[in-house]
Amino acid sequence: MDPSLIALIGVALSILVPVISAAITIIICGTSNASVGTEKPELLSRLIITIVLGEALAIYGLLIAFMLISKLPNITTMQDASKALLSGGIIAVASFAAAAGISYSGSSLAGATAEKPETFSSNVIGVVLSEALAIYGLLIAFMLIGQI
Amino acid sequence: MTEMRKLKVLVFEEHIDAVLRFLGELGVAQFIDVREQIENWEGSLTPYEASTEAISRSSTLLSRISNNLSKIDELLKPIGIELEKVSSEKAITSKNRTEEVLDEIEQKIIELEQKLSLEEERIGEISTNFKERQTLQNKLKSLIDSSEKMILEKELQDLEKQITESKSAIKKELSLHKILTIMNKRAVELEKQIVEIKPFLGKIREDLITIEEATQMERSLNEQKTQFARTAKTVYFEAYVPSLHIDIAITKIKEATQGNCIITEEAPLHTEKVPTILKPTPSYMKAFEKLTFAFGYPSGDEVNPVRIEAITFPILFGIMFADVGQGVLLVLFGILFSIVKRKIDLEEVSDIIRYVLEGSEMFILWGISTTFFGFLFGEFFGPSGFIHPVSLGKFGPFYIGGFEPMSEPMKMLRLSVLIGVLHLSIGLIIRSVNEIKIRHYRHLSVPICWLWLLWGGFFMWAYWGGISNISKWFAEGLYMLLGIILLPLILLILFTGIAEGFMEGLGFGVEVFAETLSHTMSYCRLMALGLVHGVMNYLFLVLGGVEHGIFPPSSIPIIAIGTILVMIIEGLVVFVHTLRLHWVEWFSKFYHGEGIPYKPFKLENID
Repeated sequence: MDPSLIALIGVALSILVPVISAAITIIICGTSNASVGTEKPELLSRLIITIVLGEALAIYGLLIAFMLISKLPNITTMQDASKALLSGGIIAVASFAAAAGISYSGSSLAGATAEKPETFSSNVIGVVLSEALAIYGLLIAFMLIGQI
Repeated sequence: MTEMRKLKVLVFEEHIDAVLRFLGELGVAQFIDVREQIENWEGSLTPYEASTEAISRSSTLLSRISNNLSKIDELLKPIGIELEKVSSEKAITSKNRTEEVLDEIEQKIIELEQKLSLEEERIGEISTNFKERQTLQNKLKSLIDSSEKMILEKELQDLEKQITESKSAIKKELSLHKILTIMNKRAVELEKQIVEIKPFLGKIREDLITIEEATQMERSLNEQKTQFARTAKTVYFEAYVPSLHIDIAITKIKEATQGNCIITEEAPLHTEKVPTILKPTPSYMKAFEKLTFAFGYPSGDEVNPVRIEAITFPILFGIMFADVGQGVLLVLFGILFSIVKRKIDLEEVSDIIRYVLEGSEMFILWGISTTFFGFLFGEFFGPSGFIHPVSLGKFGPFYIGGFEPMSEPMKMLRLSVLIGVLHLSIGLIIRSVNEIKIRHYRHLSVPICWLWLLWGGFFMWAYWGGISNISKWFAEGLYMLLGIILLPLILLILFTGIAEGFMEGLGFGVEVFAETLSHTMSYCRLMALGLVHGVMNYLFLVLGGVEHGIFPPSSIPIIAIGTILVMIIEGLVVFVHTLRLHWVEWFSKFYHGEGIPYKPFKLENID
């Protein structure tokens, strides 16, 4: 297989899967936030953190895709191509895992905050730690690209 | 910070209203909900129930008063006069029981209603007169106008020939003028009547407002009583009072009960949630205060992180958002918003606009920091090459500025880790200050060992050239590893183990190790988001055809659209990530936010 084609698959993976993950997060957290907003609109400004952290997943994907595209002319060997493919795959899986975490704990966070607003600061940990998963993936993907 | 004392008071039920009134005038006591711990009293205390009736009664009275107030306004509308808004003198503060005061108020309302209905009749007369007079006057005016016209025309046509006709016309006009003067006289009389009636209505209105305030006081007084407990004949309550005012509060209670009371004064326990009196922060930090209090209100023996946050928050934001052009725009927007904020009423605008306006000072701080880091990373509306990166120096492998993040991302990564370690160290130093403040000197070992571990790990990472050379850590650097990573960790486990048991110590050690690693790594998002900001700007620079810092005129609309998009979307994302770094990574080191604000019970004129 042509190395640049493999690298392109990496680019596609690195943007498409994070975008889907971000969409899943926003769909789940956005709807639960909206329903909390009907009861307690004053909480929405705090709960927006779940949506924005979900959206950041897409941005991580964008970053890796961009870095890969800027490296495309250098990719000639199979080894470089597989690094590009893998870095795309890593950010894809990591952001998907983060999306699962954020959307589950984010929607529960919204419900719990509506019932007891004082639990917000401890419950938000679940959301932000899930989001950290994507950062770890991003770092490793980034280092891989650095070696191309 | 002023210390809080706790008062436990037992008074006879007949004195409770007087006591509350005295304390309310003083405005220093914050009552504790006794009913939450009523099980501890094993049946000797029951909740104080009597007040719900008084609350509902005062609410009905309040609605009655506001009905009457609106009635007065309705009455005055057709005559077209307005009463000046009066600020009433101090409301009645009797030392009677609530029920008596409410009775009194009801009596007054009935009295005032009677007066009002009398005035109503008079006003009805006046307003019909007023209307009639106005229609007559209008008629008269048109008549006069037309007759004047006629006269002039006729005089011009033929003065000599039709002198008799014109004479009669003049007579008619004269009689019209007579009627007008009579009407004017009546109008003056009517004005007089209105002027006479005005103070009557004004007095009624003033009285109504006064008793409205009195009723509101009764209601808030009785709302406080829902937190009390009672025995057969006495009422028991607890309150927090600042130690500055404790003596005057005790004398006031004694005065109100004529000495028939039992008062105990004690220092609150450490397990209790004592209300915190905070030093007022400068107005430009109000937005940061809101962000902090959204996480939790500081308790009394904690350092309030708002002042430090007001410095670190813009710095972290600026690293991620670094751009000279957009930074200047942010400052300009901030200045604009703070001007708008002074001009309009914040209560009347919609939510999102209010958040933006309240954060106007924050925008200015962000803008300054963004501009600063924009110079360091050489970004002007993206990496356009317009500005050359300025270097502030180099510490070992760490470059402070002087590179473009997009072309040299590893330098940016190292810088972000450095910033992260510094930020976490500030948090740990505040933690040790907190431990010193509450004199838990034994717990001081935790932040000290943690700092040792953090900087040890950081030093290892920097000295041996990154994670990729981790094999060297265990070969040449083994003793260094033992000294600056394992030793503090073992000490930490040992100290906590002695204090709380071996298993807890071990668990805590593992937790600290994992947290140090993951929280430091979390600061790598400074690099990631900084790069994303550059990339998004770069897309628009490419679209606009900007090369080597030269902006062709055709690129300006594209750059403008791009800047708006980037500033809104990226601004939101960067803001949330900065907030998250503060809430999770930073606050978890030292800040619990489990305090409650100090809101003493106050009886005062409600505006």
